Amino acid sequence: MKKYIFLTVLSFILSSCGTSKELYSWSMYQKASYNYLKKADEKSTELILDEYKKVISTQKGIRKAVPPGIYADYGFLLIQKGNLTEGVENLKKEIQFYPESKIFIDRILKLIEK
Amino acid sequence: MKKQLYLLVVISILITSCGPTSKLTKSQAYPEIYKQKPLAVLIMPPINRSTAVEAKEYFHTTLNVPIANAGYYVIPPFLSMEILKRESAYDSELFIDRPSLEIFRDIFGADIALFTIISKWDKSSVASNVKVEIEYIAKSTLTNEVLYSRKGEVIYNTSMSVGNNFLLNLVASALNTAATKYVDVAKACNSYTLSDLPAGKYAPKYGVDQQEMSGLKNFRVRLPK
Repeated sequence: MKKYIFLTVLSFILSSCGTSKELYSWSMYQKASYNYLKKADEKSTELILDEYKKVISTQKGIRKAVPPGIYADYGFLLIQKGNLTEGVENLKKEIQFYPESKIFIDRILKLIEK
Repeated sequence: MKKQLYLLVVISILITSCGPTSKLTKSQAYPEIYKQKPLAVLIMPPINRSTAVEAKEYFHTTLNVPIANAGYYVIPPFLSMEILKRESAYDSELFIDRPSLEIFRDIFGADIALFTIISKWDKSSVASNVKVEIEYIAKSTLTNEVLYSRKGEVIYNTSMSVGNNFLLNLVASALNTAATKYVDVAKACNSYTLSDLPAGKYAPKYGVDQQEMSGLKNFRVRLPK
């Protein structure tokens, strides 16, 4: 009898949907990015910068890697805020971790140099 | 007694498994994805044919997460938005039927341009439901073929909204305002629909999920489950 109860519980666990761990963890990034796109004021910029920092520093996803696009968008925002050195560093990190981004990011780096 | 218990096991598997699937495996439904092995995805600004102007941004800012989680490289969303605007290419209607999308391969290094068409975003005044109709179309920048497409009718009940972790909400209260309430609706539509995307390069299942079942091409669903 116990065996069947165990089986039932196990089958629930194995077949349940959407509870498995994801490739990356994102903190509150999605809400922050909507908020920033909508408002683009000082407060929303601060909030999304915080989220970028969190996503970069604490990765609980399966890959334990920073998700695609995060370094680049973070760098882009830093540059817009006038922090050129750190911004460019982050853009270069995007290429380092995701070589497929090179075509696009190199184009951006050239635009900045001009 | 034994039989009943077996039945219970089978039923519990049936009722907890993920939504209805089509009769096609992923490699039958999306053969070109396995052939072309696309990696970099450019998210095109959603085409909004609904009466709700705000729907476009809800979707635009939530599409990159499920695609990255499926193992693909997503071109940085804000940076690409900026460049599309500069190049006067921010209107996806101009590109969706174009015979070539090579320009996105040249500028962004994109293998796929992901289009979305929102045809309905209706907030019911009676129940706390949002009714959404949306189509996702992934086109190859190499061959211009449609590599993936699904169309869904989603009814989302906002009163059942998840994320009720009190502590988390307290910390993030600045982001959990009425303005961001509907972000969850778009998130749910995206992750439900795109959950049958073949795994991309960065996912553990890359190249080994051909025999998994794909979702229905046209579907109706109530969310959250």
